[in-house]
Amino acid sequence: MAQRLRRYGRTLLSFWATSLEAELEYQLNLVIELLAVLGNLAGSLFVLVLLAGPSGQLGGWSWNSALVVLGIYTLLDGFTSCVLQPNLSKIVSHVQNGTLDFVLLKPIDSQFWLSTRSFSPWGLPGVIAGLALIGWALVHNGEALSAGGMALAVALLVAGGLILYSLWFLLAGLSIWFVKVWNATEVLRYTLVAGRYPISAYPPALRLVFTLVLPVAFLTTVPAEALLGRASAAWALGSLAAAAISLVGTRLFWQFALRHYTSASS
Amino acid sequence: MAHRNGLKPVERALRIAAALLSSQYAYMLEYRAEIALWALSGVLPLIMLAVWQGSAGAAAAGLNPQGLGRYFLAAFVVRQFSVVWLIHVFEEDALQGKLSPQLLQPLQPLWRYLAAHVAEQATRVPFVALMLAAVLVLKPGLLWLPSAGQLLLGIVAIQAAFVLRFLLQTLVAMLCFWSERAAALDRLLLIPYLFLSGLVAPLESFPPAVRRLAECTPFPAMVSFPAKLLAGESVDVAGGFLNLALWCAVLFPLSRLLWQAGVRRYSAMGA
Amino acid sequence: MSQPIVHAEGLSKSFRVADKQPGLAGTMRHLLRRSYREVEAVRDLRFAIQPGEIVGFLGPNGAGKTTTLKMLSGLIHPSAGRVEVAGCLPQRRQERFLQQITLVMGNRQQLIWDLPPLDSLRVNAAVYGIDPTEAKRRIHELAEMLELGEELQRPVRKLSLGQRMKAELLAALLHQPSVLFLDEPTLGLDVNAQARVRDFLADYNRRTGATVLLTSHYMGDITALCERVLLIHQGRLFHDGSLDALTSRLAPCREVRLELRQVHPREAFEGFGTIEVHQGHQVRLVIPREQLTQQVGLLLSRFEVVDLEVSDPPIEELIGGLFRQQG
Repeated sequence: MAQRLRRYGRTLLSFWATSLEAELEYQLNLVIELLAVLGNLAGSLFVLVLLAGPSGQLGGWSWNSALVVLGIYTLLDGFTSCVLQPNLSKIVSHVQNGTLDFVLLKPIDSQFWLSTRSFSPWGLPGVIAGLALIGWALVHNGEALSAGGMALAVALLVAGGLILYSLWFLLAGLSIWFVKVWNATEVLRYTLVAGRYPISAYPPALRLVFTLVLPVAFLTTVPAEALLGRASAAWALGSLAAAAISLVGTRLFWQFALRHYTSASS
Repeated sequence: MAHRNGLKPVERALRIAAALLSSQYAYMLEYRAEIALWALSGVLPLIMLAVWQGSAGAAAAGLNPQGLGRYFLAAFVVRQFSVVWLIHVFEEDALQGKLSPQLLQPLQPLWRYLAAHVAEQATRVPFVALMLAAVLVLKPGLLWLPSAGQLLLGIVAIQAAFVLRFLLQTLVAMLCFWSERAAALDRLLLIPYLFLSGLVAPLESFPPAVRRLAECTPFPAMVSFPAKLLAGESVDVAGGFLNLALWCAVLFPLSRLLWQAGVRRYSAMGA
Repeated sequence: MSQPIVHAEGLSKSFRVADKQPGLAGTMRHLLRRSYREVEAVRDLRFAIQPGEIVGFLGPNGAGKTTTLKMLSGLIHPSAGRVEVAGCLPQRRQERFLQQITLVMGNRQQLIWDLPPLDSLRVNAAVYGIDPTEAKRRIHELAEMLELGEELQRPVRKLSLGQRMKAELLAALLHQPSVLFLDEPTLGLDVNAQARVRDFLADYNRRTGATVLLTSHYMGDITALCERVLLIHQGRLFHDGSLDALTSRLAPCREVRLELRQVHPREAFEGFGTIEVHQGHQVRLVIPREQLTQQVGLLLSRFEVVDLEVSDPPIEELIGGLFRQQG
């Protein structure tokens, strides 16, 4: 077991070292990504100002607490650019070009390979900007967070990340059946912009959709509440459970998809 | 030249257009699942509508719920039928050398891409209709029937907005001849389009200075103007179309020049 | 005989494929009502391969060669029958199995396009759990056999097709597999590069005793490497044995070319076999194999022969002829 873990650790290291090497050939990207992150952040803040109006509130959330939500959104978007997008969008081309065969022939878990093979440093500006915004908003919000609260917030953030990963993986894995839906994951990305605002800013019917169908609520609002020191036990539990279920779900889904792939491919 | 095959120029153009459109339509039908997903991905204006309707900012800007509803629904339709993805396919074609055979044909290759976009719009129609029907079921009060004149003007404005976006993206796409990562530049162009075009917030809600600034760019003509026409708001019709025409008149020669320079470079590299 | 390392029993695979007419009307019809048909790609294959053998898979496009290789490497599940490779069921894809095999496809590549092969090799070493110093030693050894040098430090996209294929082979062999599945390993290579890949494979087989199964369109690969061939036609095993046996089975006759001192009338050669050419001093006859020695002896005693040549028609033509006949 320990040996296996070591092998996986070493593999991950070699994965990310090689992809960093490949990516750093395109340094112009850093400038573009920095500009894109700053531009998107400025635009989002601008729209938030418009939405909040003179009252400075959105859906019952104060300006600073709404900023925490926006910060978490930016952070998760950066995470998506770092890990999810470069890896999971490749599943489709693996299926199309038949190179999935090479992955399946490696003595390593194929889901692990497909989910961690690449690392794009170009998402890091988003991650940093998100963290900075969260920090800034928390300081200005002025409420101190206990260590336990912090731990819960981090756990909920991780849960949000895992839910996001599962959604991406699920959609990307569908390409085993529908090769042509290569951009389904991009669609997900466009729809998740709803997470820029606290869930209570939406009409009740949509809140339900954003909790049960597209779990945007678990991605940004729930961790934000924990960070603001007002986590509700029910939401926290729901988020952790959703993360666990979706992780197990992707695992089962991938096994099922592989069975289909290996019995139908030519 | 055009008479070589015994066809008059107009006849030839019509034939090419019919062949291109029908073949591209058949091709797009093959990708219908993907296009349905793309249509679904255009829900941003609807999400924004939901946020705006409950916000304090809307009331402060003097926007009433019905007007907001119509505006964003119209913006949704405008966005659906003015989507441009030229740069992504063009970059791939240029990098993989698929452009070379097209350059040998007596037809400017961009026409082919334009036909693909039009065919894609046609493929979208049923999916957008379905989504509108879903909105109607969920919120019957949101839908309205524009008059025939409004509808006609709206459609013309959407197509004009589409052409403007196509030209703008052609400019960026031509950079593919010089840089391997031109598509990344398109990401940058998307930001002002997103925030200044009226897609996520009506221009009325902007502070006056920002609004004046936005109106100096081509972006409001791409969403705000056609959406207002469709929604039946009072707009300066002649002024809006003139604005669109002017921007097209500026971008068209630019894109031609860049195309010629780009092709020279492409053939010089022996691709 | 020892235990076979590859063993197939009644191996079969059928696919369901959608039927679609071309064009817009076809698309529309397909949208409304999809029709499918079952295609039997591989039917009832039965063979066993001993450790250390080099076996060639022959057959035209679509005969089921690649499908068979994929079943042997565990990428597709057989619809019926049973296959065992290196003591494992391939479709389970156990680590023990995957560590022992490799698959090289001439039309696909696993190396990272933008990086030098060495980086991909580093990844493979980690994935297969090979100690870095040991990996370095193996890379060095294989690179020497493949005549690869500084190419390993150049981005893959800048390598020639031949260099790329050799680097692919290196990447595929880093974990010292004992069973090699090679699908068109010389595809698109020029004659020199083909010969080098061939020599390497023969060398590798000699040194490590690895079992090799390969498909190729180039008969040269097969004749140079394989003592035994499996000929698959329309999903069925048509021949399992030596190339010579295949030739005699496909060509029951041989061609005899004579150059004679004097000109004889055509009738003089009747009864020896089929007269293909009769032109002045040149005569070409086709004679059944079992009568060959007897007839040639008679010919030599009856006529004054300047030159005599007995030959088989080229194997490509024989196989091509077979497929034209039956396909």
